[in-house]
Amino acid sequence: MHMNLKACLIGFLLVLNSITAISQQIALSEEESKDLRIKVVEKSNNTTSIISDFIQYKHLDFLSNDIESRGNMVFKAPDLIKWEYNIPFKYSVVFKDGKLNINDEGVKSKLDLSSNKAFKSLNNLIIKSVKGDMFDDNQFEIEYFKDNTHYYVRFKPKEKRLKSFINEFMLSFDKETLDVVEVKMIENSEDYTLLKFINQEFNRPISNEVFLN
Amino acid sequence: MRYFLISSLFLLLISCSSSITKGLLEQTPNKEIVVNNYFSNSDKDYVYKAKISVYNTNFSGLLIIKKINQNHHRIVFTTEFGNNIFDFEYIENSFKLNSAVEKLNKKHIINTLSDDFYLLVNQNNKVFKQFSERNQMVYQTKFNDYDNYFFVSKTSNNLNKIVMASKEKEKMTIFYNNIDNKTAKDIAMIHQNIKMSIYLTYLSN
Repeated sequence: MHMNLKACLIGFLLVLNSITAISQQIALSEEESKDLRIKVVEKSNNTTSIISDFIQYKHLDFLSNDIESRGNMVFKAPDLIKWEYNIPFKYSVVFKDGKLNINDEGVKSKLDLSSNKAFKSLNNLIIKSVKGDMFDDNQFEIEYFKDNTHYYVRFKPKEKRLKSFINEFMLSFDKETLDVVEVKMIENSEDYTLLKFINQEFNRPISNEVFLN
Repeated sequence: MRYFLISSLFLLLISCSSSITKGLLEQTPNKEIVVNNYFSNSDKDYVYKAKISVYNTNFSGLLIIKKINQNHHRIVFTTEFGNNIFDFEYIENSFKLNSAVEKLNKKHIINTLSDDFYLLVNQNNKVFKQFSERNQMVYQTKFNDYDNYFFVSKTSNNLNKIVMASKEKEKMTIFYNNIDNKTAKDIAMIHQNIKMSIYLTYLSN
């Protein structure tokens, strides 16, 4: 009897604990989700450019520390994007005309993505995620959450090929501005890559020369 | 013409008889195990910038090596964006493939990478023969069908090179360069008979 009571108590505490964990992020109602979606798409359509610093954390469960990289990102609508890493080494990549133009500490190379469908669709998604507009119900199962400061939208790929290396995308939006402040790409093994955007500037004129890499 | 034939034959003989330990003095082994300590600290995440070239396809990214515990290493190669290119484990000398991108996920490539990385990280290697030359000791070990030769400096005691050989023919060489505080900061793994090479530059983590 004494043992049963103890087991009940532990069970109760576990349930309580999981309720607390869930309550930090609340699911949006259908109406709220619709509203958020409309606002994000509208903002995305009005975005002509984004300049932002970023910190990238590669989290692998078996490592003692996340691998941290830093750099800046430039996006110009509709589909030009440049990622420039400065730490831990200089490396930049431009997605352009279906190709990745890579500049690796001065050594330039091109990677044609037409032969690699999964990588191509991933890159297209990254471009979309920067703007926040990834709302494609055919491609994803989409779920909406919020806490006091942010909205969170979870995109689970339906396509088998993409699913094989990305389990889900989680976008975090600032509740006030609806800027995308974090992109988390969770791989199948629960390892993830987290991009945090800081010092974002929107709709500044950007010359195409920025994307010569 | 005759001179040409004789000299060609001579060259052929030289190349056939060339062996890794030729001209070295064989000794009775004075140790049972040759140790490779470059990936032996389980508190440390070994993170390298990596360029891997496999049959004219080039991959660049980060190579992450972690000693999980005794006789267990995990090796993950990811792009700069964080997508995994391959993910291997060695547990008690057996190889486990967790994932690999389509282009590399072919039996002969995976087998080659598996042998290469095992040799790169494996800590304790049983010595079968020992040779001495002026500046370094050479320890012969065995793994699968290969004879592997560990070149250890007599002055610094650093492991500088491992040659993987089959029937005394070099297949692949690992160079550990720029060694600082038990870490090899530059590593090159070069195949002699197939188009495969791996270059690693250490990034602290």
